[in-house]
Amino acid sequence: MTLVTDAVTQEYQRAAHQRSRVLVAAGLALLLGVLLDAATGPAFLPIGQVAQAVWGEAQDASVHAIVWAIRLPVALTAVAVGAALGLSGAIMQTILNNPLASSYTLGISAGAGFGASLAIVLGIALPLPESYAIAANAILFAALTCAGVYWIGGARAASAEGLILAGIALLFLFQALLSGLQMIASPESLQQVVFWLFGSLQKSTWPKLAAVVAVLLLCVPFLVRDLWNLTAMKLGDARAAALGVDVRALRLRSFVLISMLTGVAVAFVGTIGFVGLVAPHLSRMLVGEDQRGFLPTSALLGSLLLSLASVASKTIKPGAVIPIGIVTALIGVPFFMWMVVRHRRSYW
Amino acid sequence: MTHLFNRMFRFVLCGLVLLGTLQAFAATTEVVDAIGRKVRITTPVQRVVLNFNFEEFTAVAGKEGWTKVVGISRAPWEGWRPVIFKRYSAVIPNLQAMPDIGNSDDGNFSAEKVIALKPDVLFIAEWTYKSLETARAQIESAGIPILVIDYNAQQLERHLASTRAIGKVMGNEARAEELASLYEHEYKDVLARIAKAGGASNKKVYVELGQAGPDTVGNSYSGTMWGKLLTTLGAVNVADGKLTGPWGPVNAEAVIADNPDLIFIAGSSWINKPKAVKTGYEATPDITRKSLEPYSQRAGWGSLKAVKAGEVHAIEHGLCRTLFDYVAMQYIAKQLYPEAFRDVDPEAAFRSYHTKYLPVAYSGTWMLRLKP
Repeated sequence: MTLVTDAVTQEYQRAAHQRSRVLVAAGLALLLGVLLDAATGPAFLPIGQVAQAVWGEAQDASVHAIVWAIRLPVALTAVAVGAALGLSGAIMQTILNNPLASSYTLGISAGAGFGASLAIVLGIALPLPESYAIAANAILFAALTCAGVYWIGGARAASAEGLILAGIALLFLFQALLSGLQMIASPESLQQVVFWLFGSLQKSTWPKLAAVVAVLLLCVPFLVRDLWNLTAMKLGDARAAALGVDVRALRLRSFVLISMLTGVAVAFVGTIGFVGLVAPHLSRMLVGEDQRGFLPTSALLGSLLLSLASVASKTIKPGAVIPIGIVTALIGVPFFMWMVVRHRRSYW
Repeated sequence: MTHLFNRMFRFVLCGLVLLGTLQAFAATTEVVDAIGRKVRITTPVQRVVLNFNFEEFTAVAGKEGWTKVVGISRAPWEGWRPVIFKRYSAVIPNLQAMPDIGNSDDGNFSAEKVIALKPDVLFIAEWTYKSLETARAQIESAGIPILVIDYNAQQLERHLASTRAIGKVMGNEARAEELASLYEHEYKDVLARIAKAGGASNKKVYVELGQAGPDTVGNSYSGTMWGKLLTTLGAVNVADGKLTGPWGPVNAEAVIADNPDLIFIAGSSWINKPKAVKTGYEATPDITRKSLEPYSQRAGWGSLKAVKAGEVHAIEHGLCRTLFDYVAMQYIAKQLYPEAFRDVDPEAAFRSYHTKYLPVAYSGTWMLRLKP
């Protein structure tokens, strides 16, 4: 008996150690990513000048402006948006118990894209300044899509399969609507739509960053409260219910969080699809299913991925900035495949 | 003692005078830009970044003005009008290696590059200004004043305000004023002649961008560019009511059904567009005609009034929405109201504009009727 408990304790301690090692390593890598992000850009500033500007001691007003008005908002927005996407993907994969679930595959990003295009092409938007009107539309339609997925999928007791099918149906619906909008769009707004869909961190500002961070912080207490319930969900609906989890209510709560996280992330930087799918998978490979480790690691890896993509988008072709959505996929896919192939033990 | 006092007095006086000149040297000037913004700029400027309207800038500030230019958006000039860019870079030494700040249409306009170039002023086209809300806040946060230039609105006031604003910033006010009055005079003269001829013509006109060749229906324009020009000149624009946006291709069938009296195919010196209508500095009339001919042979075009009457014309696309677009106005108006414009020679007008205001020599074919 003691032997068994000892083995369990040991295994638990091993997992806990692994978790903290991964968190520390990812945290350090992220810090490096942010520093690199702040240090690179088409102006080719010497790194010493950038560092001086970061500590608020820039000798040159233009260096100060480049670092504080352009590079730091971009670098930190990459972190915040990456975290939001990683987190929303992780929650989604958990509550739907499905490895393909992400805000991208379930149509939430497509919904947001349609909302944004509606504002760009037809000017149908809430009465806000232009840069926020597009974002507000994206958030609104991300929320509507989430509600739609929940409502349609929920018709059959909110089963995971029902929700996934509803999401995929909505993905196609919004893609078709988006194509329709692109068809009637004038060339100039079409271009704007295309660039919006590519995704870009270059429009990051401090107020927009604050909005993303605020939503992230708002979500944390709710997630902390549901950590154990979410962990139980991975055993399947029936077992989770047997453990006393109100599956339906938990899914609803999670969907609200997902729509907020995805909406605000996508709203300001466009559809960066891949992060939300990959970060949770990497996280699961590294720390396993325990949501106490899984959720923060997913967020951290999401940030790391996007931060590195941001650096790459500026350095692949020096002097130019390649849209972040394209770079994310180009970098993320090979990395992801490598992880899947290398990881012999089945983790899902 | 008095001697010493005198010397001190002189010294102080000299200092004051020097200070005065220095201040005159670096004064803050308030300039009203094309969209009525009041912009404070420290003049005379030493470093200038230019996003568009390069030929207008050259006309106002001269070749010498370019010695102060430290960066441009290369794509709208080098990419859109390669032969024109080539001509200018042959006479403007720093143009060939000019740093690029990117182009908002291509999604690569870089506020960071603009700031790193440390300009005293950024001249920016209205369409760029409008599309870059975040970038312009970033640029202004670095203390770089942004001056909006707008020839694309095709409004007389904005043409004049843009020209005068460039002149004021670059210290070429007299030349800017001369150009502004030339433009105003020619613009009003065209409208006056049309009014004298009895007002709006009922002639139907079809304009198409001849970039991809006759097999592809190119863009037409409604309410902007050539479309706006046609409306100003009192023509009936075939594209009106047939486009979803300000520009786009008109259905080929609709053009035949409308049976236009006049057809203009906008050409230029695009690269990698072998079937395009060729106009500009390097096009001989023969080259232009040869590239225009296949358009008139499109399916169903043989029976069009315009084709039968030989009224198919090539016109340089780069003439539109510029400080010299009065030349294009004269040419199109001359086809609409031949009597009223009998003594107007648009080609001569453009030649004289080159001689007086541009560092490159006039040559080539810019506007041409298919049938000689």
